[in-house]
Amino acid sequence: MKVTIKISGRMLDEVRIDLARPHPFAWERVGFLTASAAKIPRGLLLLVDKYLSVEDEDYEQNDIVGAQIGSDAMRKAVQLAYRPKRALLHIHTHGGYGKPHFSGVDLRSADEFIPGLFSPIPSMPHGLLVLSDDEASGKLWLGPQEKTVKVNEFIRVDLHLSKKWGDK
Amino acid sequence: MTWLDRQSFLGPESDEILSQARIGILGLGGGGSHVVQQLAHVGIGHFVIADSDVITSTNLNRLVGGTQKSVELSTSKVEIAQRLIKAINPAARVSGHVANWQEVSEELRSCDIIVGGLDSVRAKDEADSFCRRFMIPYIDMGMDVFETSPGNFLISGQVVLTGPGQPCLRCLGIVTEEGLAEEARRYGAAGGRPQVVWPNGLLASSAVGLVIQMLTPWNESRSAVAFLEYDGNRHELRQADILRRKSGKPCPHHNEGDVGDPFFRLARLQDSPPKSTKTEYTGTVLPEAEVSVAGNINIFRSLKDKLLKTLFQ
Repeated sequence: MKVTIKISGRMLDEVRIDLARPHPFAWERVGFLTASAAKIPRGLLLLVDKYLSVEDEDYEQNDIVGAQIGSDAMRKAVQLAYRPKRALLHIHTHGGYGKPHFSGVDLRSADEFIPGLFSPIPSMPHGLLVLSDDEASGKLWLGPQEKTVKVNEFIRVDLHLSKKWGDK
Repeated sequence: MTWLDRQSFLGPESDEILSQARIGILGLGGGGSHVVQQLAHVGIGHFVIADSDVITSTNLNRLVGGTQKSVELSTSKVEIAQRLIKAINPAARVSGHVANWQEVSEELRSCDIIVGGLDSVRAKDEADSFCRRFMIPYIDMGMDVFETSPGNFLISGQVVLTGPGQPCLRCLGIVTEEGLAEEARRYGAAGGRPQVVWPNGLLASSAVGLVIQMLTPWNESRSAVAFLEYDGNRHELRQADILRRKSGKPCPHHNEGDVGDPFFRLARLQDSPPKSTKTEYTGTVLPEAEVSVAGNINIFRSLKDKLLKTLFQ
């Protein structure tokens, strides 16, 4: 299955600016994108429509990973995606250039919280995105028990239609 | 050296970007056939093309790729376009549909950019709304010939580029309630509107320029929206004044958040694909007699078209 995600240039810029802000104690900021979906031949198209920045006070210190987002942040994200039903995509950045990779912590925490998103929003896929300064990678869950699929294509819709999530 | 060497100013990755691009073309008449030909020349790698018609003798004054033989054989416009693309770039992948574009909307969702050579105001409106829903930049082309006084004619036309968050065809006055009402009144009236090849070619070339500008920009002065107005009597193409007035203002006709399929359910992802309208093309440039569409199919197509037009009104 081919998975494509589209985002407007304006929103991607907003996401990058937000994630680049320093936090009092969290090394990495995170956010959530909501996306509507559509079936395409042999694949799935996700269309990003909103971005939720995680507020400073919604980060918690954690002895193992340093910092994590708390239940309030998750509640706000689920609320945003609940009506109308939207896919919920956790997003953060590792900086640098080239195709980014998920860390072990990213994958372990995603395995814990993403299957839980199917309880309130079972009709949509949910996933995890990571940015570098010029590209993106993504994993998508199509069900709480199903194997994940990777996001194959990231399209930025702007003056310049780009198949990377970096260049303007 | 590659066959695209002379356009290397489009960037070191331009061959790859263009070969990966997927362009939809709605309507393969006077405008669409030019677009198809030029996009094949610049190296676009994926085409999704749709037109329910076959060529007739009155198309021959402007349909690129059309021949007397194809008229005799009632060849579909899709078949003509496929042959043209493959003759220029055999590596191009063409998904051709002898159908109204609305019937192949699932496949069109995956296009990077869509170009419309649609005659009807309603079809333009529907194509614009469709593209916004799937965040696809849409380029609309149109031309008309008006009799301004007995024996005097004005050739006019336009190319409009629009997309998510930009003024729509309604904002820009291309789609109006009066136009829709007038079209509904004329529905079924015999006789085609005047059309000629050179304005079609000029407008199509501008549309192709906008496509390439979005994919492989070659300068800084570019815009996500364009409205090029053509005065065929003065032989002028210029940015329309209305664009300045509407640019940067939110579109009151489409909510930017209305994207995707509102009926999407994960469970439906595995549903069987819709009935195919695809025409298969092997890539070999065959003599026309071997690739024509049988004439009797047209009777059913015509009935189907009437039914679809009724449903979309």
